[in-house]
Amino acid sequence: MNEDKTKKEDQNQDEQSNPSSLVQKIQQLGQSNVPQAPDSNIHVLSIIGQVEGHVQLPPQNKTTKYEHLLPQLIAIEQNNKIEGLVILLNTVGGDVEAGLALSEMIASISKPTVSIVLGGGHSIGVPIAVSTDYSFIVPTATMTIHPIRLTGLVIGVPQTFEYLDKMQDRVINFVTHHSNIKEEKFKELMFEKGNLTRDIGTNVVGADAVEYGLIDEVGGVTDAMKKINELINENKEKEGQVIQ
Amino acid sequence: MILYTPLSETDIFPHSQNEFSNRHCVNYQGKMLFVEEGKDGTYSLLQLLSTDPQDFLDEKYTPGTKIR
Repeated sequence: MNEDKTKKEDQNQDEQSNPSSLVQKIQQLGQSNVPQAPDSNIHVLSIIGQVEGHVQLPPQNKTTKYEHLLPQLIAIEQNNKIEGLVILLNTVGGDVEAGLALSEMIASISKPTVSIVLGGGHSIGVPIAVSTDYSFIVPTATMTIHPIRLTGLVIGVPQTFEYLDKMQDRVINFVTHHSNIKEEKFKELMFEKGNLTRDIGTNVVGADAVEYGLIDEVGGVTDAMKKINELINENKEKEGQVIQ
Repeated sequence: MILYTPLSETDIFPHSQNEFSNRHCVNYQGKMLFVEEGKDGTYSLLQLLSTDPQDFLDEKYTPGTKIR
């Protein structure tokens, strides 16, 4: 067993000279080599697919498990070499409490954070997108704002409605506190009729999200990297002043 | 067969437990990896759980890589 392992490691080391492992690599990913670069002071957290919370989803779903991300966020906060964090978002939403947990974690990190909404940042993706210091949305990305809903067993009593209403208030409060959108406007978008087929809510596209004050700017990777470097420099200057 | 029901798909066709049990989150060479156990006992890498963008350039951690 051990011998096999060392043999495999040897194979990995001289991949270029060993055609079989190269063929395997091409079969796996359709590529043979990737460039190496020096350490980065900016880390990237991608939130893709569904935000998975209390219930484990079947394997065919693409999910981001919040219990994986929370320790990573702590590690980013503690590591001195990491100066900034970029959040990449392409999510359909998911567990409300898991999403809010992630949002609060990102919002309370002391290091500069920038988010980019790519493709979609729907429902619980909205608080995650606005939780950063500065947020970007690419022109083609959309964000669906809609009231929260429950799946599974629901007890048909007025208290259930109150519970849902309170949970919704938590989302609304978070979004209005961390972005420039007014509470009235956000609620108006949330309860709008006729925009989504047979559903309540609004689908906000790129530039509209900026117009409503939900997102700070329309832009992609270049703008986000420029902004995060700017924020890092500001942060460094502030720290320098404290020491003096 | 068409089912017209308000129940969710998973309530009618529950997923088998082994769909979950062959997927693991492991620490391999200091990196957290999400892997799927194959029938022959090998593990193939599904997802690298890292925030360091440089880790994703490391060809050892490309998705689909067989480990052990």
